[in-house]
Amino acid sequence: MKYETPAPDRQIAMVLDLNKCLGCHTCTVACKKMWNTDAGTDYAYWNNVETMPGKGFPANVHDPATAGRDLDGTTKRGQIPDLDTGYGRAWTFNHKDVLASTGAPVKEWLRPREEVKWGPNFDEDHGAGEYPRENHYFYLPRLCNHCTHPACRDACPRGAIHKRQQDGIVLVDQDTCHGYRFCVEACPYKKVYYDHVRQVSSKCIFCLPRIEEGVAPACARQCPGRLRFVGYRDDPEGPIHKLVDRWKVAIPLHPEYGLGPNVFYVPPMSPPRLDADGRPTEEPRIPLAFLESLFGKAVGPALEVLLAERAKTRNGGSSELMDLLIAYDWNQNFKLDAHQREVLS
Amino acid sequence: MNKTITLSAAPTGMQPGGYVPVAFADRTEAATPSATIEAVAAGNGWRITLSWACASPVRHTANETDRFPDACAVLAPVAPDSPWITMGEPGKAVEGFLWKADREQPLHIRAEGLGSAQRAAPPEGTRVTADWRDGHWQVVFEIPAWSALAAQRQLAVAVWAGAAQERAGLKSVSPGWLPLG
Repeated sequence: MKYETPAPDRQIAMVLDLNKCLGCHTCTVACKKMWNTDAGTDYAYWNNVETMPGKGFPANVHDPATAGRDLDGTTKRGQIPDLDTGYGRAWTFNHKDVLASTGAPVKEWLRPREEVKWGPNFDEDHGAGEYPRENHYFYLPRLCNHCTHPACRDACPRGAIHKRQQDGIVLVDQDTCHGYRFCVEACPYKKVYYDHVRQVSSKCIFCLPRIEEGVAPACARQCPGRLRFVGYRDDPEGPIHKLVDRWKVAIPLHPEYGLGPNVFYVPPMSPPRLDADGRPTEEPRIPLAFLESLFGKAVGPALEVLLAERAKTRNGGSSELMDLLIAYDWNQNFKLDAHQREVLS
Repeated sequence: MNKTITLSAAPTGMQPGGYVPVAFADRTEAATPSATIEAVAAGNGWRITLSWACASPVRHTANETDRFPDACAVLAPVAPDSPWITMGEPGKAVEGFLWKADREQPLHIRAEGLGSAQRAAPPEGTRVTADWRDGHWQVVFEIPAWSALAAQRQLAVAVWAGAAQERAGLKSVSPGWLPLG
């Protein structure tokens, strides 16, 4: 029996401008320190930052074989990442051995005790393309998409996952969860994590205690690049509506799964490839086909709008879109409700 | 009661939610094809022994994300007509005891329909001992009192094979309620 997911009264959402992400992982650390310090979630990152092109976190997350949906959105069996080759175990280090060897003729190097197979951000800055003519990479921060049709909710035989009526935040009721992990298996974004000590699932709660106090999530407020925007989909004066619906420059990750993600990305514009003489060409370094593999066919038109608006400002004109994306006024990145707390910028 | 029974795969098509019935539609064969069950009265309570072949036992799941323990459960109807295949229904509960290889203590379970099972500490004095040797599990439940079994004198069993990532409704089950005789 397939569950029906009632539409929430409002849907909170986030936009991330990938042109501004500097890969500092402050978002990840802010989230991790706030929500994931339990022993059973030592490996888990509700928010993480990946280098693209790359295998992502957990490894192969962008490979359709791991997803609980086919590319046409139909349900299929997904995969649960393992701790060694999927997520990467939280390693322990030989600190004592290193300290004890300081006076010894042969010194110990600091190293993990365990065999290292994978980890978050494991392929940082590897990217793709031949240096120096076409090498490229960009950062992709990821969090739960708080989907309109959550695959995790659909997968739970216990009905332990629900979508909040007031704002569409998707939550796991850990008192009801029995740790079966069908949610982990089904989510194509692999953004539900298993707490292997408490034996329940856990996931991003969109910092709901902050949202209820008019404060944007920690990942957004701590971002030094000011690349995150938070607000409600239906607020025409808010940043989400402007970027997603008015300008159509913010698009979801892997729309092909049909889950209706409510986290959107402004795709990265590329510097040009170089020709054999080292001169810039008209070709972008990041192949459009690669971006389409992440964001679907909407990425091309979104890039065209971005490039056109950027050209306007380069030619001395003004662009409301560029002003919003640059975030001259950080407060405009967030529009939650009447008692929203301002950012001190 | 002391008999060897053929187990069948619990039907995935009736599992709650949209994922399991589709993703596991191909699970039509029982991962554990048979089990031997012995149930004897012991004072006011019961001693129930369940044994089955298991080539690859999974006892430990700590510090792993993709491992599921071997497990088994014994179940009795609370009402005379509590349905077995749906784990009861509203107003017609089933209850029983669950052993998981990664836990020392058994759990008491009670359900009124698929997906509704509630786990709790078992009544005081309930014990379970489990032993795997020569490719077989033997699990012994010692239950000081079980009124549902005493009243209805019917039992059902379920076995989960951790190596096949069985959990929840992915399990091998007895062919309906088994009379104690």
